[in-house]
Amino acid sequence: MPLESTIPNVLAGDAPLVAGSPACRDMDSEAFAGFYERSARSLWAYLARVSADPALAEDLMQESYVRFLCAAHPNDGEVAARRYLFRIATNLLRDHWRRPGSSSIQDLPEEYFAAAANSAQADSQAMLGPAMRQLRQRDRQLLWLAYAEGYSHREIAEVTGLASASIRLLLFRARRKAARLLRQEPSNQGRQP
Amino acid sequence: MNPFVCPREREVAELLRLGQWPHAVSPELRAHRAACRACSELVLVTQSFQQARAAAAAATPLQSAGALWWRAQLRRRNEAIERINKPILGAQIFAFVVTVAVAAGVLAWQVHRGFHFLAWIESLPVALHLDALLPAARPDFSGGLMLLLPILATLALVSGVVVYLASEKQ
Repeated sequence: MPLESTIPNVLAGDAPLVAGSPACRDMDSEAFAGFYERSARSLWAYLARVSADPALAEDLMQESYVRFLCAAHPNDGEVAARRYLFRIATNLLRDHWRRPGSSSIQDLPEEYFAAAANSAQADSQAMLGPAMRQLRQRDRQLLWLAYAEGYSHREIAEVTGLASASIRLLLFRARRKAARLLRQEPSNQGRQP
Repeated sequence: MNPFVCPREREVAELLRLGQWPHAVSPELRAHRAACRACSELVLVTQSFQQARAAAAAATPLQSAGALWWRAQLRRRNEAIERINKPILGAQIFAFVVTVAVAAGVLAWQVHRGFHFLAWIESLPVALHLDALLPAARPDFSGGLMLLLPILATLALVSGVVVYLASEKQ
């Protein structure tokens, strides 16, 4: 039996979705396409910069969206949906790091990540890359969520699963270390006092 | 000035978030940034990460949203099928276990009694006072298994249905 005849074409809207999941009911394919367009780039940037592995980031991003669509999460608007998506991605990233044999950022040269980028992107990556390499995984996540995505401490706690009270201190330490490392970069020597 | 906590950090962070740093910043705040360690670190780190985010986002290879939607539909469908099949499998396993247990019990009992299996089967209607219900010319149950097997099958079926209904209710 061909696959097309057994699985309804939900993209064409000719079949009911699986009941019981608010995500299924509330987000149709067009709404998802819009949400994906608005959120995919920032999610990929987060995964790619924190993992330093663009191929892994691509895989985890796809898996994050599939899990997001399958999950019965409350529909509290796009901001909450975006946060939920980052939470899924963060958990997937953590699972990947826990697996034995998974490569860490310390094992990968920065040139690997910068290879596909143009010169302006490469400048940015060359500036941040060495500092990122020397930061711990959790610090990279916290810094990215706070300073690249602009999440509040409460939102970071929600995404990472860490206690909200500890985020402030962890972030302060990570920022201090990142700033010290960034100041050591030749490209930043004349940028900051 | 406290190097760890700065009262103006929130103001600086908001300007950075809005993309107004450094062009829409007063000279006084710039001077403060130069003197304040916390604010200078905040500006340096935020600008670095924002630039890295913009650069990485520009290089994002986006897959089509439709393909992801399709994959999610497939997975949801498979999960739904798995959910439906789970109680059935549980009922089958339970029915099998009950049948094996009863058969083993009967066997052990018969071993203990010296394999008077057929005599027990034949005396069963009398023991249960079913004589009045059975026809006078009833068939010969000398086969024994003709009665035992339906009993076991009924027991297995009933127990399986009970487990299935219990699982479905859960």
